[in-house]
Amino acid sequence: MASSSNGTKSPPTQVQRTKVLLLGQRRSGKTSIQQVLFNDVPPKQTFYLEPTARIVKHVYDTVIPLEIWDCPGTTTIDTLGAPLAEFSSIIFVIDIQDSYQQPVARMLDFFIAAYQESPDISLEVFVHKAEAFTEDYKLENFRHIQQRVIDELLDISSDYEQMPLNFYLTSVYDHSTHEAFSRVLHKLIDSLPYLEDMLNVFCANSQASKAFLFDVKSRLYVATDASPVDAGTHNLCCDYLKTLNAFGPLYKSSSASPLRLTASSPSSPPKPTFYPSAAVTLAPSTQGTTLTYHLITPQLALLTLMQTAVFEDRRGLLEYNVVFFREGVQEISQVETDARTGTS
Amino acid sequence: MRSLIFSNNPASLTSRLGATIDVEQNHVRFLGDLILNLWDCGGQDSFMDSYLSTQRSTIFQHVGVLIYVFEVESRDMSKDLSYYRDCIDSLRKFSPTANVFLLVHKMDLVAGDKGAQLEKKRRELQHESGEVGVTVFGTSIYDESLYKAWSRIVHTIIPNATILSKHLTTFAEACSATEVILFERTTFLVIATSNPVQAESPFPPPRAITSGSSTPTASTALATSNGISSPPSSLSGTVIPGAEGGDAHKLNATRYERTSELVKALKHSCSRVREEFYALEMELPEFTAVLDEMTKNTYVLIIVHDPTIETAALKINIRLARQKFEELQSDSVGS
Ligand SMILES: Nc1nc2c(ncn2[C@@H]2O[C@H](COP(=O)(O)OP(=O)(O)OP(=O)(O)O)[C@@H](O)[C@H]2O)c(=O)[nH]1
Ligand SMILES: Nc1nc2c(ncn2[C@@H]2O[C@H](COP(=O)(O)OP(=O)(O)O)[C@@H](O)[C@H]2O)c(=O)[nH]1
Ligand SMILES: [Mg+2]
Repeated sequence: MASSSNGTKSPPTQVQRTKVLLLGQRRSGKTSIQQVLFNDVPPKQTFYLEPTARIVKHVYDTVIPLEIWDCPGTTTIDTLGAPLAEFSSIIFVIDIQDSYQQPVARMLDFFIAAYQESPDISLEVFVHKAEAFTEDYKLENFRHIQQRVIDELLDISSDYEQMPLNFYLTSVYDHSTHEAFSRVLHKLIDSLPYLEDMLNVFCANSQASKAFLFDVKSRLYVATDASPVDAGTHNLCCDYLKTLNAFGPLYKSSSASPLRLTASSPSSPPKPTFYPSAAVTLAPSTQGTTLTYHLITPQLALLTLMQTAVFEDRRGLLEYNVVFFREGVQEISQVETDARTGTS
Repeated sequence: MRSLIFSNNPASLTSRLGATIDVEQNHVRFLGDLILNLWDCGGQDSFMDSYLSTQRSTIFQHVGVLIYVFEVESRDMSKDLSYYRDCIDSLRKFSPTANVFLLVHKMDLVAGDKGAQLEKKRRELQHESGEVGVTVFGTSIYDESLYKAWSRIVHTIIPNATILSKHLTTFAEACSATEVILFERTTFLVIATSNPVQAESPFPPPRAITSGSSTPTASTALATSNGISSPPSSLSGTVIPGAEGGDAHKLNATRYERTSELVKALKHSCSRVREEFYALEMELPEFTAVLDEMTKNTYVLIIVHDPTIETAALKINIRLARQKFEELQSDSVGS
């Protein structure tokens, strides 16, 4: 999919980007997380990543324009080269297999300084490389780290009791990093309540049991309806998107494919711009579930789950609702873009 | 009854090929009625010794295909080779017409020039095989190479791939499709494809040699002897008919293996949430496609580049073709 410029193309106008700071000890997995999420690097390939020598700023355009700062393990508040207040979110990565003392101390230095400068900042802790442990041992360590962070914070001052810390267990080898980063992202999207409303309405009108708005390339979901997110469903949606992304280039025709995108013959009624879609049916009977995909903007796709019977009987209605949903999302994106480029 | 022998390192292969090809399970239904008698032989020395002594005649009789797996970076290549030579000797004695496929496995571990390393192994193994014709593939579970090798192997045991191809070509025309591909249901290996629409010449280019076969044995013999006498590059070349038609689409040469891999991965994701993959339809910027059940034991993938064709039309066509393909298939496997 086009149009996710990652540092290569410069944006047309000066956009105000939402900044995310990625911190952690050396080899804790910061660059891996960034590369797996935003650069399509296969998890196994992160083994060959070089240590990061200086701060690298990655730009990524999704529902909001992001700028992710990948830092060397040695970065301090002084060498950061920007006030912490510039960042909307700080993610600190702790290697679950490493000793915790040093990383926790360093993390708290950053968090306290940031919290004092801007109390609204999101402070996120990724307890990383979690796949290496068994389920029980993993959770035990996870709780241990959380407790330790909170204890140390209160030792420093009881003022920090209110500090909003969020903890996530992550690993690049499964979907947990996607899930965690999605949740980090949600807090940065001002228009989130509108998107969620629209998804709720969409689900009700189309008889869908679940709907996600996904960023196609990174496979992060930017919003979902009010029903709870079940990990299995989320993983399946991620894998489905990955499959669709991989299928496209496989059967790309050098002669015919470009023609598909330009409108059909001039004599036929002008077709609206082409929006890709797909559906995967799970189970041979109509009692089963169908997972649909509709591209909404060049970056975003709507994924929904519904009964196959509903999908087959009311496909027209579904497509109709998608058109309205698309218009709504495009409007919201436009408002966002205008606000950020100052052309309102 | 023909049997396949797995040897040395196959558990990893089988785990990727789906639950049916199981280490404990010896009979595998492939295409429903074609029963493959799989002998997945553990690679430990004690087993190897017994295969080659007391069990020798049981194991090596009525072998249709021998698949022998080597590790590319083996700790003890001379021992591997000595077992291999014993196997080949037994095979020559008990099943002289068997096809031999050698997988040089874990290619992902090779640092540096993988092509050159594979070439070296290929020559070494061909030398070790004496007069027995062998086909060598470099494989790894971390990419689609394993599917490529297996599709080629499976192709030699499908009795009427050519007839299937012919019917798939007719079906493709009926659908205005660029290409139609038939997969075996459990393994998702490619069984046959439609032939590319070729205006210029009724004769296929020489590289399509395996597609010219009318009987499986002839095809295998051709492919194998060709593999030995021709320059190495042709060995690793395209194996499935139609993979590189002289058409203007210039589709990706590894698309079949990659499709097998992608669909298997999606099926796996579905099974992890206790769902069962059933059918997929896509209208992507690059093409329109439907992947659906064709017969009890096969899946069909229709690829269309014409933007005016709707997936609903393709699905109707599949429904109409089912009966015909069901008959074709029962004819083929029954013989
Ligand atoms: N087991 C496991 N290993 C991981 C995971 N994520 C990253 N790694 C490995 O951790 C090592 C370090 O990863 P990097 O991404 O370079 O770490 P970094 O934090 O950017 O390191 P510096 O740039 O030196 O600060 C690599 O070998 C990765 O393959 C994970 O989820 N699980
Ligand atoms: N690097 C690499 N490792 C592999 C590959 N295939 C299998 N393995 C590993 O090799 C080991 C032995 O595999 P297995 O299939 O159990 O061997 P068997 O004892 O011969 O059945 C396992 O740890 C696999 O994960 C491959 O293509 N590349
Ligand atoms: Mg780094």
